[in-house]
Amino acid sequence: MARGKVAALVAAVALLAAGCGSAGTPADPAPVGDVQAQLPAGVGGGDAAGGSGADNNCDTRSLSPNGSIPAGSTMDKIRDRGRLIAGVDQTNFLFGFLNPSSGNLEGFDIEIVKQIAASIFGRWEGHIQWVAIPSSAREDVLKDHQVDIVVRTYSITCSRLKDVAFSAPYYQAGQTVLVAKNSGLRGMQDLGGKRVCAAKNSTSLSTISSAQPRPVPVSVNNWSDCLVLLQQGQVDAISTDNVILAGMKRQDPNLDIVGEPFTREFYGVGIPLGQDDMVRFVNAVLENVRNGGAWQNTYNYWIEPALGPGAPPAMSYR
Amino acid sequence: MTATATRPAVPGGPGGGVPEPAAPPDAPRGGLAGLVELPGAAVRGVVRSARTTPGRLTVIAVGLAVLALLAGVVATITLQERKNTINDLIDHREPLAAASQEVYRSLSDADATAASAFLAIGVEPPSLRQRYDTAVARAGVALAKAASDSAGVPEAATQVETLTRQLPVYTGLVETARANKRQGYPVGSSYLREASNLMRTTILPAAQELYRIDTDRLAEEQDDASGFPWVSTLLVLGLLAALIATQIYLTRKTNRVLNIGLVVGTAATVLALLWGATAVTVQTVLVSSGDEDGSHQVDVLVRARIAALQARANEMLTLVARGDGGAYEQDFNALAPQVSGLLAEANGFATGDMAREVQGAADSAQRWLATHQEIRASDVDGAYSDAVKLAVDSSVPGGAATTFANLDDALVAAIGHGRQSFLDDTRGGDRALTLLAPGVALLAVVAAAGATMGIRDRLREYR
Repeated sequence: MARGKVAALVAAVALLAAGCGSAGTPADPAPVGDVQAQLPAGVGGGDAAGGSGADNNCDTRSLSPNGSIPAGSTMDKIRDRGRLIAGVDQTNFLFGFLNPSSGNLEGFDIEIVKQIAASIFGRWEGHIQWVAIPSSAREDVLKDHQVDIVVRTYSITCSRLKDVAFSAPYYQAGQTVLVAKNSGLRGMQDLGGKRVCAAKNSTSLSTISSAQPRPVPVSVNNWSDCLVLLQQGQVDAISTDNVILAGMKRQDPNLDIVGEPFTREFYGVGIPLGQDDMVRFVNAVLENVRNGGAWQNTYNYWIEPALGPGAPPAMSYR
Repeated sequence: MTATATRPAVPGGPGGGVPEPAAPPDAPRGGLAGLVELPGAAVRGVVRSARTTPGRLTVIAVGLAVLALLAGVVATITLQERKNTINDLIDHREPLAAASQEVYRSLSDADATAASAFLAIGVEPPSLRQRYDTAVARAGVALAKAASDSAGVPEAATQVETLTRQLPVYTGLVETARANKRQGYPVGSSYLREASNLMRTTILPAAQELYRIDTDRLAEEQDDASGFPWVSTLLVLGLLAALIATQIYLTRKTNRVLNIGLVVGTAATVLALLWGATAVTVQTVLVSSGDEDGSHQVDVLVRARIAALQARANEMLTLVARGDGGAYEQDFNALAPQVSGLLAEANGFATGDMAREVQGAADSAQRWLATHQEIRASDVDGAYSDAVKLAVDSSVPGGAATTFANLDDALVAAIGHGRQSFLDDTRGGDRALTLLAPGVALLAVVAAAGATMGIRDRLREYR
């Protein structure tokens, strides 16, 4: 009898415990946390290495042109070698890019390289070695003499003139902003607190870092990595020269260039410091390109459809 | 309870041959105190009964029977487990190691092939598209297989999770790159670099880790299946010694030389020992050779194949980056000696058909690495399109595409031979243990029965 009572008591306690205890919550079958889109390699923050395009506290004029090739000159050595080594971009639509359907490099900058090679060798075909370089490597490849020239939307700035020599400007661009069409953003003034992309070591990145209201700068190795970030929704805008943005807009009709250019960028041909003969020679080539109609033809082919009519920048020499 | 408690203990009395284990002398004492005293009382009972010869014989008989049955049970379980382990090696562990090898390999292949396809001018060649699609499909299927086993191993589960999460992301990026390329947009190469970066920094390290975990587990299980069964051996040897000692004792006590029951029991034990020793030795040798000639060689060859695929991906990406590919070329230069080294290692131990394939692979690898130098020389000299042609065009005789394909084919064949050796040897090891576990169980019962009956014959003489 007593055993029966004890059993009943135990059963009652057990039932009570089961009823009171929490059953917990059902387990999450796929605990993945916060899922982020993949980033391109080498994404970073702001840097001021590019200096500012508006930073004009020095004489940015180049040396006067001289188209002769004396024996022992830099051009003579290049001619003996049989090829001109040119640092270019292969990801910048319209200025320097690899055409996937032909396998050839094409664009405005590429035409400039061809003109320089043609002036040295008579014809450019077979006399150019293309080296694709990221924006951040432009000074290094010149300082290390890995290339003879850099033609890669290379803005002439005072801080860069300490490390490399520049030709006279062959193109004038201006920084604007590229955003998604439906974003409602209308220019740099709307980008405070927004993530804005530019290439490492570029003047554009310096400008973004110092803009008011202050955006959050995001930097990448190549300009097209910015387009990847914008398409993946990881940045709100890309801010750089209108010609680079025009190339991106051509690759994605859902994007729009907004605002008027708020800087003036003069593109020059980068040449290792100390090779004054090469600087003068390239300036002579650029004079011919400008005056012989080649500049206008190239502009009309690559740039006019995106940005409308344009003319070469005025040249003045030291 | 009441019956045993009231009956007086008759230790070792003639006719009362069975010891009374649960007979406390000062019974009745109920409750827990009685229970606690039971073992002590039992021991005292046995000790008392062992003072007389019949009592001692009874104790010996029980002891021998218990020892025989214990040895039988332990040996049977050990052998059955061993056989299960070997079957698990064949049916489960090796296929899983092969699955994680396949995950690692096909992902490396996808990376290399996506880069090659991207280098092609215009629309990619159908053969490369096919190869990429096959690599991704194989990686997915092998991953599902590898995932099925990872539940109990947290570190493997982590790798499987990374792989299952990131593989769809990778293929998505490759398709975005492809779509842009087809429209002539240079942003495609940025998507490809992003995809390749994901592959190299996240996916391939996880696949490599999963492969290492599964290869280690295979090796551990092979060690389990070829370890020496100490406990069973000692028990059976102990039983044999006890049986012999009993016979010597009986001969001295009774002046009779032979006791049929004990002789049968001894013979059964000796038979079990010889059968077991032979079968286990043969099996251990075969499982070990399945490791040495099979899975270990496969491991070396698989690592060579993966290193070669990754080097090939770097060769391609150096060209895709076009001047900006110094890091890829450095990776190639780090991987190339690994390929040669692993092939030399494989060459050292390979025999027969496998040796022929490994030699073929080593020759192709040498030609490929020589062609790579030509490709780099062309690229550095500015002949970029020649370099690309030499690297990707499979119609160029001696081109990197051809020599690399030869290398890969030879390695596939060599790995096939290695897996076959593993399967043949391990299956042989399994066959060596056929019927051994039930056989030993039966022999143990015979030994126990023989010992009991033999001693009962002697006990009868005391009546």
